[in-house]
Amino acid sequence: MNHRGGWALVRSTWLSWMQHRSFFFVLAFGWMIPPLVYLLVWSTAAGSQAINGFTRGEFVAYYLVLILVNQLTYAQTNWTVGDVIREGKISQMLLYPMSPLYNTLSSEFAGKVVYMTFAVPVTAVLAVLLHPELHTTPGHVLAFIPALIFAWALRFFWGYWLALLAFWATRADALLAVQDTLVFLLAGQVAPTLLLPGALRGLANVLPFRYMVGFPVEVLTGQLNGSALWVGFAAQVGWLMIAVLLYKWMWRTGLRRYSAIGG
Amino acid sequence: MAQPIITVRQLSKTYRVPERDAGLLASIKSLARRTYNDVQAVRDINFSLEAGEIVGFIGPNGAGKTTTLKMLCGLLHPTSGEAEVAGYIPWQRSGVYLRRISMVMGNKSQMMWDIPPLDTFRVLGEIYHVPAAEFKQTLDELVELLDMGELLTRPVRNLSLGERMKCEMVAALIHRPSVLFLDEPTLGLDVSTQRRLRRFVADYNRRRGATVILTSHYMADVVELCPRVILIHQGSLLYDGALSGLVERLAPFKLIRLTLNQEQAPTIDGHLPPNVEVLERENGRLVLRAGRAETPAITSRLLDTLPVVDLVVEDPPIEAVIDQIYQEAKV
Repeated sequence: MNHRGGWALVRSTWLSWMQHRSFFFVLAFGWMIPPLVYLLVWSTAAGSQAINGFTRGEFVAYYLVLILVNQLTYAQTNWTVGDVIREGKISQMLLYPMSPLYNTLSSEFAGKVVYMTFAVPVTAVLAVLLHPELHTTPGHVLAFIPALIFAWALRFFWGYWLALLAFWATRADALLAVQDTLVFLLAGQVAPTLLLPGALRGLANVLPFRYMVGFPVEVLTGQLNGSALWVGFAAQVGWLMIAVLLYKWMWRTGLRRYSAIGG
Repeated sequence: MAQPIITVRQLSKTYRVPERDAGLLASIKSLARRTYNDVQAVRDINFSLEAGEIVGFIGPNGAGKTTTLKMLCGLLHPTSGEAEVAGYIPWQRSGVYLRRISMVMGNKSQMMWDIPPLDTFRVLGEIYHVPAAEFKQTLDELVELLDMGELLTRPVRNLSLGERMKCEMVAALIHRPSVLFLDEPTLGLDVSTQRRLRRFVADYNRRRGATVILTSHYMADVVELCPRVILIHQGSLLYDGALSGLVERLAPFKLIRLTLNQEQAPTIDGHLPPNVEVLERENGRLVLRAGRAETPAITSRLLDTLPVVDLVVEDPPIEAVIDQIYQEAKV
């Protein structure tokens, strides 16, 4: 492990990304649109009543938190991993006495800071305009922090192992698009998972995608208590362990292949 | 004799390359069943290098030079054979090993585009755990040798190719590697930048005693920097030794350039010795080719019998010799 080098990379990548902040602001704005559309759809639909216990203000709170969680957990860097492998740029990284994972993590961390400088103020303005109703307790906030960290790690490593398929197939990033679609459907973006119809909700609870976005949002907005919370954490950590194992295995076998066929 | 720093024994690399004919039908067929072709990029090569040597690694495109370098810096696993560099097996990619080597690829960059070179150098200093004082000393030294102080704070994207290559050199050497692999470092550079980089590599080698393997298609790089060359062609090692030895072996002749008195020039035909070949003839100027051994006798005869204004004897240009090897694939 070479944390010293990794940290230096984070700082320089951040400096480098700040040169293009307007580009990243546009990206962040784009990611904000779908949840914003669903915020307006659901809050309008709710009107002055509640839908399955969700009031208008609760929908607003749910989607504003989701906008932030979605941007904090979205591993956009994974889209570039395939190019780095395909174009042989990974050779340069392999020459360093440091895992190439640090390169990806550095853009992850640097990116988050850049996106947040856009997303946080915009969400704050929306909160002032749209009057969210947030029923959260210090306990929920405390539980939200690990839920968010695990959600990021799960979304990152799940995307990373898919991206590493580029060692074998040239356009493996198509699978990242599939992951994005499944996250959109099953991770609480179209609708909070609690509002999904029975079979779909069952699927959302079993598959990893809800634990990448929806779960921490549900935790902070106070929708989960007691056993539902613990079951959620168990599923999240379980999927995270699977994702990390898959990443490690893909990396090892992928690298073996890369060094056999040449970069 | 000192222990060699690089030892390569029976090193081979075979790539398995997917193959298919052109056209839609062939591409559909290849979906169902892929056919592969084995391409032997490097075959059973052997050599060793002493610490501090600069060796030119030459051969035509596709000869296996880069494949060999990639195996030596740990990017590629060989199909068979052994290599040891600075006491390590390169493809095990141990951290200690990677800290002792560096590779510069003329067609790839390790600089970060949007920030000034100094920032990239600092990151590399951290990655290689270079102590602050040593970092400053090395940077000052390299910047002075390359005369590039004013480039340190300009974003890399605004630098010219030559300026960028200077930065690549600093980036590669900031951790003071003891073995340096240079893969066509002068690619696309103008002559004066090429010369500057060559001088720099020679200086660095002298100061730090680093071992350097250099591949280049510019023979000037090899002539100026490498007392020893290793020539590979179609994956096999054809020659390992001094560059001058290669020329002597391959070109057992010399070129004689003659300038004659213009007025008498047309009448010379009967006076040329029988064992010379006329390569060029224009007005009073001639280029002749003669066997190495006979050259002294021939020149004195030419001076005696012809109205010579000027006479120069030289080796054939190295490019011509190398071209001959590349064409004939033998030494």
